[in-house]
Order: sequence, then C-alpha cells, then structure tokens
Amino acid sequence: MLRNVALKSLRDIRRGFLWWSLGLIGFVSLIVSVYPTVHSNPGLNKLAQDYPEALQAFIAFGGAVDYSSAAGYLGIELFSLMVPLLLLVAAIGTGAGAIAGEEERGTLELLLANPVSRTRVVLEKAVALGLELAGLGLVLWLALWVGSVATGMDISVGHLAAATLSAVLLALAYGAIAILLGAATGRRALAIGVTAAAGVAAYLVNGLAPLVHALKVPQKLSPFYHYAAGDPLRHGISAGHLSVLLAVAVAALALAPVFFARRDLST
Amino acid sequence: MAEVVRAEQLTKNYGQNRGIAGVDFTVEAGEVFGFLGPNGAGKTTTIRLLLDLIRPTSGMLSVFGLDSRRESVAIRRRLGYLPGDLRLYERMTGDELLRFFGHLRGVSDSSRAQELAARLDLDLDRRIKELSRGNRQKVGLVQAFMHDPDLLVLDEPTSGLDPLVQETFYELVAEVTTRGGTVFLSSHVLSEVQHVADRVGLIREGRLELVDTVDNLRGRAFTTVEATFAEPPAPDAFAGLAGVRLLDRHGDVIRFGLEGEIDPLLKALARFHVKALDVHEADLEDVFLARYRGEEPDAA
Repeated sequence: MLRNVALKSLRDIRRGFLWWSLGLIGFVSLIVSVYPTVHSNPGLNKLAQDYPEALQAFIAFGGAVDYSSAAGYLGIELFSLMVPLLLLVAAIGTGAGAIAGEEERGTLELLLANPVSRTRVVLEKAVALGLELAGLGLVLWLALWVGSVATGMDISVGHLAAATLSAVLLALAYGAIAILLGAATGRRALAIGVTAAAGVAAYLVNGLAPLVHALKVPQKLSPFYHYAAGDPLRHGISAGHLSVLLAVAVAALALAPVFFARRDLST
Repeated sequence: MAEVVRAEQLTKNYGQNRGIAGVDFTVEAGEVFGFLGPNGAGKTTTIRLLLDLIRPTSGMLSVFGLDSRRESVAIRRRLGYLPGDLRLYERMTGDELLRFFGHLRGVSDSSRAQELAARLDLDLDRRIKELSRGNRQKVGLVQAFMHDPDLLVLDEPTSGLDPLVQETFYELVAEVTTRGGTVFLSSHVLSEVQHVADRVGLIREGRLELVDTVDNLRGRAFTTVEATFAEPPAPDAFAGLAGVRLLDRHGDVIRFGLEGEIDPLLKALARFHVKALDVHEADLEDVFLARYRGEEPDAA
C-alpha cells in the first residue's frame, strides 16, 4: 500500500472507509427491513400521492412517487436524498483533503520534494477518490442486493447497480470539484464549503424546476438532474445522463493540475 | 569545479518586507555551502525556490544545469531535502514513511535507510506521532540522505538534535562531500555553519550581503592577543611592529590585534615580564558582528 501516492492515499482513508461502509450497510438494512410493512399498506402510497407536487418532486427519484413498488420505495427512501448525501459528504471530504488537506498539515512539502510532478500527485489522489467511491458503491450495491433478496423485493440486481453507479458518479463529480478547489486554493475549508454549497444549489434547482418555469433550463445543468432523470431503478443505466456526470468529473480533474501547477505552495 | 546551483538576480516578492531580492550565488560540486542569516531573512524562501515549491518573481535559478521550474522533477530525483518546518505523516511509522518515499524514488531497497536510522539511534517501528522533536528530525534526516543524493538541501538541519546526534550529522555531511556530493545548508547559528561549511553566504532582509570561504572570512578577522604585564610597558614599546595593532590598554593589560603571524609580537613581548597571555582565534561571529555594526563596509 506504499507503492505510490494513490495507494498510500487509499491507505490513509481505510479507517474512514470502514466506518462509511458500516454506516451505509446499517442505513440500507434499516430502510429495506421496513419495506414489507410499507408494501402491505396501500394507504401510505395514497397519502404520498396526495402530497403537494412540490414535495413529490423532492422525494421522488426519477419517476413518480410510488410506495407500492420496490423501485419506487428505494428511490424515495434511499436514492432521492440519503444515498447521494452520504456519498457526497464522503467524496467532498476526501476531495478537499487530497491537496488542500495535505497542504494545510504541511506534509505536501515533503511529498513534493520527491521526484513526482504536481500533476501526478493530483491525478493519483483522484484515482484514490475514484477507488474509494467505487468501493463504497460496491458495499452499497451488495447491501441492497442482499436486502432486496431477503425482503423479497421485486427489483433486478442490474437496476440496483445502475442506481448505485449513478450515485457514485454524482459523488465523483463533486469530489473532483472539491479536489479542483483545494488544488487551486490550498484551503480545505473553502473547498468543502464551496463544493457543498454548489451541491445544495444544484439539488434545489433540480427539485424546484417542476414548479418554477424559469428553472427548466438551469435544471439541465444540475448534476442532480442527470443523476435521477434516467430513473435507473426502473430503467437501468442511462448512458447519456451518466456521461454528463462523468464529464463534470473529468473537466474538474483536468483543470485541477493546471491551477495547482501555477501557484506557490503555502507554508 | 562544476556548478551545482546557480542563482542570478533571484527575486521573490511576497507582501511587504518579505521574500528575497536580486540574490546571486553559485554552489560548486563537492562543497558545503552554508546559508546563514537571522530568522526571516529569506533562507527558507531561497530553499523553497530550489525545490520548486514556490516560484521566483524574477531572476534565474538552475540546479545541475536544469531549470528549477520546468525540470524540477529531474532535479528532485537527485536531491535530498530536509525542510525547516518538518511535517511528517503522523499516523505512519518511520519505516512506513521511508518505504513510501523510497518507492516514490524508485528505490525499494531500504538497507541504506535502516543503516542511517541505526547510526542516528532512531527506532523506525514507532509511529511518527509518538516521536519526540529530535526523533522526528532524525526521520527527516534519514529520508533526506537515504538515496545518497547528489545535492542535499538542509534547512536548519540540527534544530532539535542533541549534541551527540549533531556529531553524527556532521559525519554524514562529511561523507556526502567525500563521495563528491554537495550540501546546501541553512542556519541561523554561526558556529554550526563555521563547523561544516567550506563557503558561507550571509543573507539579511532578503539580500545576500556576502559570500566567501570560511578560511577567507577567518583571515579577515583579527586574532586578538591579550597580554598581562608585571609592570606596564612604555606607551611606545610596541610601535612599528608589522601586522600588529594595539587595540586598547587598561593599566598592565594590553590587547593587540594581529593581521598576520604572531611571531613579531612574541619577540617583542619577550623583552618584558609577561604574567599571562591569552590568544583568541577569530571566529566568524567576529566577522559578522563587525559587519552588522558596519565596521567593515567593504567586506563584500
């Protein structure tokens, strides 16, 4: 695990990864275990469908609000908010720590005394972020799979994987933005704050767009729109929407070394 | 001798009163160059420019004939660095940290690192966060020396080291130059630089005020001789002696300044009843103190 910067960075977050995994497993178990009760109670579905349109837009994931199907239930309870929230928190934390965190702790000075370019350090840190999120995605997917089988959910493993992949790519996009801001400024708190604020704004734009006509166009710029719009729990992978998320991540990671290479390291 | 480092009109502006301005110097292969100055004078700024951690505002800086900015990775391959403000990965053990940096340098054999750690009496199995300041500094020294670099850049290397370990450090520095390596060493402690350096550069308020060999600087300073007489000699008893100046006299104690050999003075003293004689070899401190007081304005 000490062969290169990417593996060493993964090693640094191994404890955190364990806790995030346990948290995800626990949360998924809780939600999935309630499904049989909800499923057998048609009144709840009726109640949800009577919610104001504004609320429905926020609680649904991709398609319509529907407590009666496994896809609808998991969308509302997990994928509309909690799963992306958890993965984004993990991704932004890792991303902001990648350059800015090491810089503030002062360890970047000695790391960069080695014959590694700044570009390579940024990209290896990005690889570590990608592997971390892939690992969390795998844990999430396995927990959903086991849970869905245990509670007899009528949903395919492939669709669970598609939704998970969507969430992982959304988190990767924001993690990459956090890397970019951290690499450009060297300030971890700034990278976390600005990225998180951008995430909240994008979430609100996407959620409010069905009600506010003026947001119809900006909605298409929101990563949260592309995260959910393909309705992956019902329809599987939507390559078009996912490639937008991937493009955001790639663009941020392409810019990060450019800004990082130009500036002085802070003491 | 080949140039290892060359700085021409090197300038780095930060805000007000910081950074360096118009610094010119070269470091030759095989020498120990002592970079001396009070804290905040610009030593660390110059060193961080060498490592490409910060970028010059203007001027030229090359290491091994390579551009300090564009070819920094190639430079760092042949360079070992000990920062003045050493920050290590707290959760790693010394061994893990050294293996990690070894891999980044393409060196998987850790025997040299182990050997250095043993000489410095450093336990590599403990986590960095459990180490004292002195032991952290040893980890810093090992990672700087372990790949036998052509150039060592050491910022205040002996801070936190006890005197015994300092001696080991001086041995390590001597071994580097013996095998043809070069050492660039900063310090605010004169006696330390004087101990190891072949040449010294004095930086103050961002300007390099003086660069000279330690031998020359020593030669530039007077040796002072203090003689205590049984009876005060006549006022003109020591007039006209070559290279001897009478600095001051208090009753039967006279202080002389010597520019050359001590022999003429000794012969002259032999005519009197001398109760005590104290010869004080000049050290760099005297030169620099004289310079700071402006007593030797043409020294550079």
